[in-house]
Amino acid sequence: MLEVASQPLLLEVNSVVKRFGGVAAVGGLTAHVRQGSVHGLIGPNGAGKTTLINLITGLLHPDEGQIHFAGRHLEKMKPQQIAGLGITRTYQNVRLFSGMSVLEQVMTGCFLERKAGLFSSFLGLPSARNDWKRVREHAMHLLKRVAMDHTADELAETLSYGEQRRIEIARALGSNPRLLLLDEPTAGMNHAEATAVGLLVHELRDAGITILMVEHNMGLVTEFCDSCTVMNFGQLLAEGDPRSCIANPDVQEAYFGRKNDAERIKSLR
Amino acid sequence: MEALFDFWAAYGSTVTFAMANAFFALSTYAVLSTGVLSFTTVTFAAIGGFLAAQMVGQFGLHVYLAFLIAGIGGGLGAAVVASLFLRLESHWMALASLALVLITRVTALNTPGLTGGVNGLVVPVTISQFELFVLLTVTTLVFYRLHNSWYGLASRAVREDAAVASTMGISPYRIQFTAFLISGAVGGLGGAALAFTLQFISPDTYFIGIAFTMIASTVLGGSFHWFGPIVGALIFTALPAAMQAVVPAVEDVAKGVVLILIMVFLPRGLIDPRAIGLRRAAKRRRDIEHEAEKTHA
Ligand SMILES: Nc1ncnc2c1ncn2[C@@H]1O[C@H](COP(=O)(O)OP(=O)(O)O)[C@@H](O)[C@H]1O
Ligand SMILES: [Mg+2]
Repeated sequence: MLEVASQPLLLEVNSVVKRFGGVAAVGGLTAHVRQGSVHGLIGPNGAGKTTLINLITGLLHPDEGQIHFAGRHLEKMKPQQIAGLGITRTYQNVRLFSGMSVLEQVMTGCFLERKAGLFSSFLGLPSARNDWKRVREHAMHLLKRVAMDHTADELAETLSYGEQRRIEIARALGSNPRLLLLDEPTAGMNHAEATAVGLLVHELRDAGITILMVEHNMGLVTEFCDSCTVMNFGQLLAEGDPRSCIANPDVQEAYFGRKNDAERIKSLR
Repeated sequence: MEALFDFWAAYGSTVTFAMANAFFALSTYAVLSTGVLSFTTVTFAAIGGFLAAQMVGQFGLHVYLAFLIAGIGGGLGAAVVASLFLRLESHWMALASLALVLITRVTALNTPGLTGGVNGLVVPVTISQFELFVLLTVTTLVFYRLHNSWYGLASRAVREDAAVASTMGISPYRIQFTAFLISGAVGGLGGAALAFTLQFISPDTYFIGIAFTMIASTVLGGSFHWFGPIVGALIFTALPAAMQAVVPAVEDVAKGVVLILIMVFLPRGLIDPRAIGLRRAAKRRRDIEHEAEKTHA
C-alpha cells in the first residue's frame, strides 16, 4: 500500500456538483484516485455513486467543479472523447447490446483498439481483414480472462446475470483502458463468484489498470481495495484506508444506522 | 392464351416495382439500423428522380450517368437534412421528417422549371429489368459489406444503446450522419429507378405512397438485417398484386391487414437474426435438461 500512496493521482474530482431538479445528487464532492490502485467507492443507495461515475464518463456533465484525468479536464468532454483518453466502465444495471453475440459485444468494446479505418474496413482491404482478425483474437483473449470464452457465439442476453456482468467487464477492457470504473460488479453474485471478480480486479491492477469500483460488500472492500471514498447524500463522508473508513462511526451510522431504524420500526408494528 | 400473356405482363412489372421499392426500403433501413426513424427517404427519392429525369431529358446524359448523379444528389441532400435533423430528439425527428415529405411536394409543385410542376415530367428513356437487378445487387453488396465491417458493429451498438456506445469511443452522431448519407444515396438511386420505370414523374410520385411502402416493407421484412427490407419490399409489392388477381377490391385492405398482423405477431419482422440466437439458447437449455434427466435415470 505504501507503493500506491507514492503514486501520482490519476483522477481528481474537485468540488463537483450535479443537481437533478432541486436535489444535489452529488453536492461538492472531492475525491482522488491514485494511479495503479484499486479504489473503492462506497455509500448507501442513493448516495450519488452512479451519478459520479456518469459524470466521470461524460454521460452527465457537472453543474460545478472540475474533473481531471491525467492532467486533462473532463467536464466538457463528450463520452467518446473520454473513452479515447482511456476511461471505460461497466453499468450497475447490465447494459449489454440486445441481439449481439458475446463476442460481438466485446468486439464493440474494442472499437478504439482497431487500426483499420471505417472505410477500409467496409472495402474489406487485406490490411483491414488482418486487423479485424487481430482484434477478434484480442476479444477472445479478454473473454478467456473472464472465463466466458466458451459462450463467444451465444446471444449475450440468454446468459445468466453473473455471466453478463463478466462479459461487460471484458467489453470494458476491449480498448485497453487506463482507468476502469466498475459500478457494483458483484451485485447478485454469490461469494465464490464475487471473490473471483475481486481476484480479477487485482490481476488487472497488477497489469497496470487503475480501478474505481462501487462495492457494497464490506468484506470485499477491505480485502481488495487499496483505498476508498465513502459518500452519503452526495457528499464525502470518509476517505482513505478501507479498514479505518468502515470503522468510522459516521460510516457505520450511514450504512447500518438506517437498517437499525428499519428493524426498530418493524418491531414497533 | 391472352390471359396468360396479361398475367406475365402484370407479373413482370410487379418485379420491377418490387426492386424499386427495395431501394426505398434499404434507404429507410440504412438510418433505422442506427436507431433513426426518418421518412426523408421520400425527399431523397424526389431529388434523385427529378435529377435523373432532367439529366437524361435536358442534357441527354446516359442513363448510368444519370443514376450516378441521382445517388450523389440524394447523398448531398441527406448531408443537409442530417446536419439539421440530428439535433432533434428521435420522436421529433420522425415528425420533422414527415413534415419534410410535405414540404418536398409543395416545393416540387412550385418549381416547374426543375420538376415540371403540376404537369410533371416525361422521362424519355427506360431501363431493363436486368439493369435494375444488377444495380440492386450492387447496392445489396454494399449493405452486406457494411454489415460485416466496423461500421456495422458500431451502428448496431448505437441503435441498441447510444449512450453505452459512446462510452466505448463510438460517436453516435458520426455513425448516424454516415447512415443518412447512405440513406440519401440509396434513396436517390431508388427515385431514379422509379423515374425510369414509370417514364413519367410528378410531385405526387414522391409522396405519401412511397413513405407508406418503405416503412411497411422495412417493418414487414425486419430492420435488423439488410436482407429484411429486400424481402419486405418483395412481399409487400407482390402480395397486393396477387391478392388483386383473386379478389380485385381487396388490395389496400390486404396491405393494411398484413402490416397489422406482422406488427402484432412478428414485431421484429420476418428476418430476425436475434430470433435464431434465442431459439438456439432455448434448444441448449432443453438439451441440458435432457442430459440431466438421462444421468439421473
Ligand atoms: N437521471 C436522474 N434524474 C433525476 N434524479 C436522478 C437521476 N439519476 C440519479 N438521480 C438521483 O440522484 C440520487 C443519487 O443516485 P445514484 O447516483 O444512482 O446513487 P447510488 O448509485 O449511490 O445509489 C438519487 O436520489 C437519485 O434518485
Ligand atoms: Mg448506483
